[in-house]
Amino acid sequence: MSDIGAVVTQTRYGFKTLVRTPRVLVFSVLFPVVLLVFFNSIFTSGQNATVEFHGHKVDTATYFTAGIIAYAVMTSAFSTLAVAIVARRERGELKRLRGTPVSPWTFMVAQVLRTVATVAAMVVALLLIGSLAFGVHIPGETAAGFVIYLVLGTATMCTLGIGLTAITPTEEVASTVAPFAAVILSFVSGVFIPINTLPNWLQQVGQIFPLYHLADGLQNTLFHVTSGIGLQASNITNLLVWGAAGLIVAVRRFKWEPQGPGHS
Amino acid sequence: MAEAAIAVRGLRKSYGKHEAVRGIDFEVQRGEVFGFLGPNGAGKTTTIEILEGYRDRTGGDVSVLGVDPGRPTRAWRNRVGFVLQESEPDPTLTVRETLTLYASFYTSPRSVDEIIELVGLKDKADARMGTLSGGQKRRADVGIGIVGDPELIFLDEPTTGFDPSARRGAWNMIQGLKQLGKTIFLTTHYMDEAQHLADRVVILRQGQIVAQGEPDELGGGMGSASEVRFRVPEGVTIEQLQKIVREKLDASGGEVSFRTDNAQKALFELTGWAERQHVQLADLEVQRPTLEDIFLQLTQEQPES
Repeated sequence: MSDIGAVVTQTRYGFKTLVRTPRVLVFSVLFPVVLLVFFNSIFTSGQNATVEFHGHKVDTATYFTAGIIAYAVMTSAFSTLAVAIVARRERGELKRLRGTPVSPWTFMVAQVLRTVATVAAMVVALLLIGSLAFGVHIPGETAAGFVIYLVLGTATMCTLGIGLTAITPTEEVASTVAPFAAVILSFVSGVFIPINTLPNWLQQVGQIFPLYHLADGLQNTLFHVTSGIGLQASNITNLLVWGAAGLIVAVRRFKWEPQGPGHS
Repeated sequence: MAEAAIAVRGLRKSYGKHEAVRGIDFEVQRGEVFGFLGPNGAGKTTTIEILEGYRDRTGGDVSVLGVDPGRPTRAWRNRVGFVLQESEPDPTLTVRETLTLYASFYTSPRSVDEIIELVGLKDKADARMGTLSGGQKRRADVGIGIVGDPELIFLDEPTTGFDPSARRGAWNMIQGLKQLGKTIFLTTHYMDEAQHLADRVVILRQGQIVAQGEPDELGGGMGSASEVRFRVPEGVTIEQLQKIVREKLDASGGEVSFRTDNAQKALFELTGWAERQHVQLADLEVQRPTLEDIFLQLTQEQPES
C-alpha cells in the first residue's frame, strides 16, 4: 500500500470513527452555532448593535461570527486534535502503527484531514446561521483573505495541537490543558469580548498569542476595513511564527509510545 | 543449514548506568516456536522491543529475518508481525473494519474472513471493538498481528487474562500458525504454556541467559530428578518417614515431598514399608519437574538486587 493510499484509507476510517463519536461532532460543530446564537441574542439588543473595531463602528453579529469561527478553529484543530492523538497514543495504537509497513506520518496527515473537514463543516454551519439569522456575509473582495486566514489559522492550530501532545502524557492531562488554554485565551483575544474593553496591558498580552491574530484577521476580512483582499502583515506573521514553532516542537519531540503512568 | 530466523550475539542495552541486558546470545530457527521467559525486570521486554525495532541497542549484533531491526525497512515490516502487550485499537470500529484497515497496510495480506475464523471471532465480526471482552480483544489483537501474513510473529503474553478454554483455543491457534510454517517468538508468564507450545526456550534473569534448550531437558541435573509427594498418614511422624527415605523430606501443611534421582528405588522402599505397616500414603504423586519448577529455581537462587 502506497503512502498516499494509506492516508486515504486512514482518513476514511477516521471519518467512520468521527461519525460514531457524536460527542465530538456536537462539540465541534453544534456548540459554536449555539454560542453564536446565544451571544448575538445577548449583545445585540438596542445599544450594543455595533462594536468598535480598529476605530470603525462595525456590526456586532458579524464581529461575533468571526470571533467564534476563530475560537472554534482553535477547539477543533488544537484541543480536539491534541486529545485525539494523545488518546490513540496512550492506547498503544501509534506504537502498533509504527510496526506496520506504512509510514507513520500518514497517520498524522489523516488526523489533520479529519480536523480540516470538521472545521469546514463548522464554518459552513456558522456562516449559514449567521447570514440567515443575523445578516452576516463575506464581502466579495475579501473572500480570498477570509479563506487564507481560515487555512493558515487551521494549519497553525494543528501544528500547535500536535506539538502539545509531546508535553501532555495522558488523555486526561491533554483534555484539561488544551480546553483550558483555549478558554483563557479566548477572553484576551477578542472573540467573546471586544478587545478594546480590556485594559491596555491585557490587550498586549492577548496579542502575543495566535488566537487574537486569527480572530482579528477574520474580522478584518468580514468588515472589509482594510484595502486589498484583507490581509494584514502583523496577523499573518504571527500565525506563521506560531505555526513554525508548533511544527518544530512536533517534529522534534513527537512521541509514538504511550507516556502515561506505568511506561518508561 | 538454513539461516536462522533470529540471530542475537552479544546483545547489550544500558539505560544510563543500569545495564538491562548484559550480553546475550541466542538463535531462533525458522518454523519453530521459541519461548522467551524470565521474571519481571529481567530484560525481557527490552530485548523483545529491540528485536521488534522499537528500541535501539547499546551493543551487539542482531539479525531478524536477515535484517538489522535497528534499521527497519518497509519490506522487513511486511514480513514481521507483532502482537503487543498493551495496545487497544479504535473502540468505535468493528472487528472486521479494524482487520480490513490493517490488512490494507500490507502488500499481501490474508483474507479478513480467514483471520476472523482463525482467531475464533466469527460471531463478533461486526461488533465494535469497544464491546469485546478482554479475551476477545486479545484475539482481535492477534488477528491484527497476523493479518499481514508475516513470516515471523512476535507474541507478547498472548493469553494473559484468558479463561482456560480460551487459552486452549489460543494454543490451538498458535500451533496452527506453526503448521503454516510461521516462526513464533513467544513470551509468556505461564510456564505450562511455554512447556506445551515451545520447541525451545530461553530463561532470562537480570539481563543474562541462565538456561537454554528444550523445555523438557532444561535444568541440567534437575532435569533428571523427580518429585514424590504424599499426605502424612495418621499416627506417623516425619522422623519415622525420614528413616525410610534417604532423601531429605520437606513437610508442609500435612503433606510431605522429596526429590530423588531414582524414583523407582525410592518408591519401592517407601511403599514396601507402608504396606508392611498397613499405612495409607494418600494422594501419592510422582512428578517430573515442570518448567515452572526449573524456572523458579533458576530465577530465585539469589535475592533480587
